[in-house]
Amino acid sequence: PDLHHHHIHEPSKTPCSGPTLLKLDQDNHSLTSQDSGIPTLEINPPEPIVHGHQRPGDGGLILASNHDSPATLPLDDDPSDSSTIRKSSTFPRSGYDSIRLFSPVLSDDISVCSVSSMSTELSVSNEDILDFTVTSDSSAIVTLETDDSCASHFSDVTLSSTPGNPRDLWMCEQLNLFTLHSNFSPPLSIFSLRSLFARRVKDNRSVEQRDPGWKLFGKVPPREGPVKDPKRIQKEYETKSGRAGPGNPTSPRQSVRKNLDFEPLSTTALILEDRPANLPAKPAEEAQKHRQQYEEMVAQAKKRELKDAQKKKKQLEDRCKLEDSIGSAAQTWNQEILPNWSTMCTSRRVRDLWWQGIPPSVRGKVWSLAVGNDLNITHELYSICLARAKEKWKTTPAPSSETETEDAGSSDRESSLELIKLDISRTFPQLCIFQQGGPYHDVLHSILGAYTCYRPDVGYVQGMSFIAAVLILNLDTADAFIAFANLLNKPCQMAFFRVDHSLMLTYFAAFEVFFEENLPKLFAHFKKNNLTPDIYLIDWIFTLYSKSLPLDLACRVWDVFCRDGEEFLFRTALGLLRLYQDVLTCMDFIHMAQFLTRLPDLIPAEQLFQHIAAVHMTSRNRKWGQVQPAKGSNSARGMNL
Amino acid sequence: METIWLYQFRLIVIGDSTVGKSCLIRRFTEGRFAQVSDPTVGVDFFSRLVEIEPGKRIKLQIWDTAGQERFRSITRAYYRNSVGGLLLFDITNRRSFQNVHNWLEEAQSHVQPHSIVFLLVGHKCDLEAQRQVTQQEAEKLAGAYGMRYVETSARDAINVEKAFVDLTRDIFELVRSGDIKIQDGWEGVKSGFVPNTVHSSEEVTKGGRQCFC
Repeated sequence: PDLHHHHIHEPSKTPCSGPTLLKLDQDNHSLTSQDSGIPTLEINPPEPIVHGHQRPGDGGLILASNHDSPATLPLDDDPSDSSTIRKSSTFPRSGYDSIRLFSPVLSDDISVCSVSSMSTELSVSNEDILDFTVTSDSSAIVTLETDDSCASHFSDVTLSSTPGNPRDLWMCEQLNLFTLHSNFSPPLSIFSLRSLFARRVKDNRSVEQRDPGWKLFGKVPPREGPVKDPKRIQKEYETKSGRAGPGNPTSPRQSVRKNLDFEPLSTTALILEDRPANLPAKPAEEAQKHRQQYEEMVAQAKKRELKDAQKKKKQLEDRCKLEDSIGSAAQTWNQEILPNWSTMCTSRRVRDLWWQGIPPSVRGKVWSLAVGNDLNITHELYSICLARAKEKWKTTPAPSSETETEDAGSSDRESSLELIKLDISRTFPQLCIFQQGGPYHDVLHSILGAYTCYRPDVGYVQGMSFIAAVLILNLDTADAFIAFANLLNKPCQMAFFRVDHSLMLTYFAAFEVFFEENLPKLFAHFKKNNLTPDIYLIDWIFTLYSKSLPLDLACRVWDVFCRDGEEFLFRTALGLLRLYQDVLTCMDFIHMAQFLTRLPDLIPAEQLFQHIAAVHMTSRNRKWGQVQPAKGSNSARGMNL
Repeated sequence: METIWLYQFRLIVIGDSTVGKSCLIRRFTEGRFAQVSDPTVGVDFFSRLVEIEPGKRIKLQIWDTAGQERFRSITRAYYRNSVGGLLLFDITNRRSFQNVHNWLEEAQSHVQPHSIVFLLVGHKCDLEAQRQVTQQEAEKLAGAYGMRYVETSARDAINVEKAFVDLTRDIFELVRSGDIKIQDGWEGVKSGFVPNTVHSSEEVTKGGRQCFC
């Protein structure tokens, strides 16, 4: 009855990288263990798939004794390997790291390891069919399910140790526990997706045929002797140690699910088995010592787990709180503010709520309303512009250089059609949604193309694709276009996208007034190093921070930009300089320039907004609009052209 | 501790959009080929040390500029303080080659009173099959403007090192011969920490943390 057929299919696979979640699930009755760092990991005889040697560099987890702490899980051994599960979390949403190993070694149960973290899923079933859902390159949930029927084959467990690794053996003897073998880490080598795939396909032999790569105390013949139920072992141990077992040890799986919180789980990982008959008996005092050591370890592990569990609970609570607040904010926006937009949008309460960030579900609507539609663009106009753009794409021949006109200006505009195509795939490349074949590729192409027809005098300018992309992520196509055109029509954006250099200089000059006012020391340092604002502001202003800040943070900047206008863009710049003032003061020109044009990946949002809030946008009683007189002066722009 | 360098040269990299300026620089400074990259808006910065002779290190400060025509009014402001320039075109894109003289004229008219040592770079030479510009005509053009010509590939790491190092050597010779002079208020060439002109050993060994203020 033991023929296993293993099929693999990958229903979906997207190249996006994301958080890691690898989870192997099981049926029931299995023992669980958290990675408590104690040298007692119980790993069960695994499923057929994973026997054999783990090749070095395979990317799998190796539960080997490492130098400092034998038999701990070197979970982050090779962070660079995408198939390696680096960290894990029991609770997907918490992002909290832990590992559970369900190890039903001597029972009918099937081993399961659970390593999980966040989001995406990948599942592996250990029955006849293996389902793989890999949604992420660098991360995945693996759900491993096994049928009880094949479980019995695994009850023979060998624990062997390589000669090179005497410590394992020593450990397991000493503690009379099963420990992990460095070469065989079956349940965990499942994590090595590559080896799993490779092996699965060919491994159709029955379990018996296979050499027992994973045995308990080598010489115990397979399926001889009573197979102990892990529950019993647990109970026995508890009785022996005179300690009442926690909560609900009979159903570890449930306890995992329900009592994430509080159930220290490690004891369940520790199986105290009688010393094998083929080994000489331990002296009583040694045995006593070992037991004591073991208890200490368990106690420590429990303490740690309890602490971890509390931390996890706290994180979960915070997360729930955050979600609740987002939810209630969304409700407020939807039910109270949006229906009464014109009267409420300037109220103190709405402005405060606005500052805290608009809930994503209403963000697009709020942006649309705030940006307005002074240009009176209708959906029909968008369709007309788009149709024209499509016409142009059709008629524009492939770049044949010979027909190029001498006029650089017009060639620039002509080539902007081509440039759009090239830039679309370079827009948020890490999101993988705007690239050729991606879901928003055509939408982005359409909006940018339609805009070049709507404003042929402006055309496409690099940086626009990022603005359009952010709008697309929050609005329907036609509405995104309307917001896009109106946004670009604002004086500051017009000045920049027309690359009206002299007008841009007035913006930089105004910025420097407030820079000196707010951060005199840093301002002097910049001056000394000839670091002019154009070096960092151009990118920030052109893309409205969407290229330089993490996207969620950029959206929060957009929120308030929609509320406060261009002034906020410069205020944000000052907030960033203020936030990083200390680091910047110790840098030379090139380091500052590099730092500012490539801001850190992780920018603390709340801190940044505190710093932005602390920036005063008044200088000698003059406000931004007074310092920057170019604002809204179309005539001035006309002069400059 | 900051590595000791003799001079710092500021180089500017120009050329049409999507000829591969950022990729070439990243190959040179980071040693890898970036499959995906953002379009450069404004200017990006890179730096690397180059050893042109044993013990003689030059610090290169590389300014990567936006290629789109529209940005030229911004980028032209950056010529003045550069001592060297890599002018890139894409060998698979004839138009980018035809624009070379526009770029040069633009640069010449905005670099006064200084001058820039240019190197003409035919990029993406791994795409031989799609070549639209022959090596001969590129060399001829480069010769007409008194430039060196080199063909590079960031993808296959061909001549990337050579392009930057050759240009650096040329500039170094001009600095050594006095044709290019270090001047106050000009960022093109700066002299760096030179071991034997350091007044006290503390100046060089001071602090693991670099503070230039």
